Amino acid sequence: MPGYYRAELSAEMKITPSPGAEKSPTEQTEAAREAAGDTGLAHEAGPETVVLAGSREEVLAAMSKVIEASLDAGARTVEIKVEAEGDAPRFGEEHANRE
Amino acid sequence: MKAESAPTRERPKILPSNPGKIGESRPRADGVPKVRGEFEYSSDLRVDGMLWGATLRSPHPHANIWSIDTAEAEDMPGVYSVLTHEDVPGRKVYGMEVPDQPVLAWEHVRYEGEPIAVVAADHPETARRALEKIAVDYEILDPITDPAEALREDTPKLHLSGNVLKEVHIKHGDVEATADVVVSGEYEVGMQDQAFLGPESGMAVPDGRGGVDLFISTQWLHIDRDQIAESLDLPPEDVRLTLSGVGGAFGGREDLSMQIHSCMLALDAGRPVKMMYNREESFYGHVHRHPCKMEYEHGADREGNLVYVKARLVFDGGAYASSSNAVCLNAGTFACGPYDVPNARIDSYMLYTNNPPCGAMRGFGAVQVCFAHETQMDKLANKLGMNPVELRLKNAMKPGDKFPFGQTVPEPAPVAEILERVENMPMPEEEEIIGRDLRRLPGGVSNVTRGEGVKRGVGYAVGYKNIGFSAGFDDYSTASIALSVEDGEPIIYVHTAAAEVGQGGVTLQAQISRTELGVENVAVLPADTRIGSAGSTSASRQSYVTGGAVKMACEAVRGKVFERVREEFGDEFGGELSMEDGSVLAGNRRIVALAELLENGGIEETVVYRHKPTYPLDENGQGDAHFQFAFAAHRAVVEVDEELGLVRVVEIATAQDVGKIMNPQSLEGQIQGGVAQGLGLALLEEIQMKDGKVQNASFTDYLLPTILDMPPVRMEVLELADPDSPYGLKGVGEPPTISSTPAIVAALRDATGRELNRVPVKPEQLAGIEGEPIRRAPQPGSRGPVADDLGSEA
Repeated sequence: MPGYYRAELSAEMKITPSPGAEKSPTEQTEAAREAAGDTGLAHEAGPETVVLAGSREEVLAAMSKVIEASLDAGARTVEIKVEAEGDAPRFGEEHANRE
Repeated sequence: MKAESAPTRERPKILPSNPGKIGESRPRADGVPKVRGEFEYSSDLRVDGMLWGATLRSPHPHANIWSIDTAEAEDMPGVYSVLTHEDVPGRKVYGMEVPDQPVLAWEHVRYEGEPIAVVAADHPETARRALEKIAVDYEILDPITDPAEALREDTPKLHLSGNVLKEVHIKHGDVEATADVVVSGEYEVGMQDQAFLGPESGMAVPDGRGGVDLFISTQWLHIDRDQIAESLDLPPEDVRLTLSGVGGAFGGREDLSMQIHSCMLALDAGRPVKMMYNREESFYGHVHRHPCKMEYEHGADREGNLVYVKARLVFDGGAYASSSNAVCLNAGTFACGPYDVPNARIDSYMLYTNNPPCGAMRGFGAVQVCFAHETQMDKLANKLGMNPVELRLKNAMKPGDKFPFGQTVPEPAPVAEILERVENMPMPEEEEIIGRDLRRLPGGVSNVTRGEGVKRGVGYAVGYKNIGFSAGFDDYSTASIALSVEDGEPIIYVHTAAAEVGQGGVTLQAQISRTELGVENVAVLPADTRIGSAGSTSASRQSYVTGGAVKMACEAVRGKVFERVREEFGDEFGGELSMEDGSVLAGNRRIVALAELLENGGIEETVVYRHKPTYPLDENGQGDAHFQFAFAAHRAVVEVDEELGLVRVVEIATAQDVGKIMNPQSLEGQIQGGVAQGLGLALLEEIQMKDGKVQNASFTDYLLPTILDMPPVRMEVLELADPDSPYGLKGVGEPPTISSTPAIVAALRDATGRELNRVPVKPEQLAGIEGEPIRRAPQPGSRGPVADDLGSEA
């Protein structure tokens, strides 16, 4: 992911609604988006796509919630692309890995 | 370093210049052509067979989109391409920090002017008419335009995770500290525009192999390239950018505008596509300075020593993130000003609204808080009965102190010295009002006063800001230096991706090369993505970071030259080797001419330069977040027509620490230009918003200072070297903008005695007639004021 202020981990999740499910495709997508929004890490990235960005721990946990909500709503496919950035050292730590 | 992508065309022939050395005044290569109208801006690009792109924008600041019908537009003769979000091949959103902004909107629009569809046609008028044929079915929603409303929990969410984009909380010392003398205030800064003169423009050219070349005016080629490639679903090497003539930037070109759109259209149509916004569209096409509301409380002891500062900052980020995260951080870290503050509690919030997206602009968060903390210092001085400069001197930070964000104040930090310098500069003479040239009266040649009601005032302010990118960002620049011989003369070719946006970077790169290698002829190649990133031309960083890269690359070349000399002439020279006047010297003795040494081949070196590392703030807002700080102080002298609220700024005096004067003429230009932008914010410049809609998207209605508004600038420049930077230099572009605004407003207060807690200051504030009209019974025969003018009670 481009950007000069990058999150440690980002996950792009594309939810493909299932036409045969009890809930409508819109409701399935909406359920996934709502779950993503509740994690506090989400942005829309297309009609059926969300991006989660944050720390590794946060994003991995959030992904699980979005997948669960998608499946519960009837979706059968969630495509995920995960990108990781290196940790920036924290204040007071060794100035590691820098020239 | 290997070039990142293959060239698709020959490099243009660059005429070499003799740039002089660092420290010398040298006119910019682009200066005369710009003044004479001969400079080629990106809007002047043309190629045979090119198409014209145009953008369909939302007329609503907040709406759902139910459908987009492009059929009629596609059927128009002369239309080659009509694209919507469905045609974005890759990531449908972009953003420098957070990819939250749609390339083309799909279900929602979140600000007036948001792009929905793009068209390419054989004539700009055909493209415009095609836009009219695109049918969009909107469900109009109430816009959320007040950040305070956006912050409330019961307000609808504009983005999935809510309306709070960023929070920074800084806790320093005892956050519950109390003091004998307390002053508080609420302050507001309006939405300023960068108001660059060259509107957004560029040309995309398909390469016939699936890739694209984009000729573009921008501030950061590589971050554009990366975002474009993601959205086009192309590898970065298939998207090649070359900088075209840039007509100013000031932060407004850091975000994408028409870059992805023009590339999509060019790839779809298989023809070059040029896009060029008009002035009105430009106001919708780039981000603006964040409006901000600030609540401050300062506590001090009775001798005037600051005990604590508390501040709550609420920024309007607009519809999308842009660089708002970093602005929120910057504002938080600089909220106390350049003072030794033992205890502080700063809460900085960035909110999404349905206003235009806000992002980078000269001063980047430091401008807003400087207006507030300097007003507070004047208020505190008044309550203590102290001279406001004396109060500032008493509390001025010095090397070894701690910033409220935990970092140690580094050398040099001459806050007291620059304040003393501006205080001690001679005051401008008071000119007799009667008989004065009208241009030197408030209101100018409008002939509105002959001097009655005109009062003079004086105000002081001091500010500071970080240079470069902070908080752990890997901030670097790449430079390539080639030393060769052409027509029997040595010549240096300099290649970087640093964007020349009018700051004088090209001239400086040439001066550094000339200085380091002792060669008269220097040619600076066009900035493009064939070399590694130079980072952004923003944050006052290019002289430091790309200047450092050029210097380092020259040193590498020089090392290779000396190796070659030693190989050919041995080691015993009786003195240190150096390069001067196109030769290699040992002491004062000429060893060999470069033309002879390099006749069988030149030397080329590419390097990557980094400044020292920085670190993110921890959960209490503490950390070594910044690597350099720049300081400036201003004194403003104004004359105010109290009856009409008209102002003439008589003079600005300023002192600034620049570390090292690299090019005196360029430096003076930066200081004058920064002061002009600070004056604009103090008195004139604001994007007027009503219900999420821009009311003044033109240079007729958006007021800019002209040469008639600009006073003489008296300046003193300190050269206190930064031990970590190339040549000891400091970034100089932003500090003149930061404290010039509060100095002018302080002078207005001095003249009028009014509070003036909001900028830009309006004439009605100065004349004391702002606020609701007085309600009176209608006169006989009159219906009285109409309801719309006086509200529903009338």
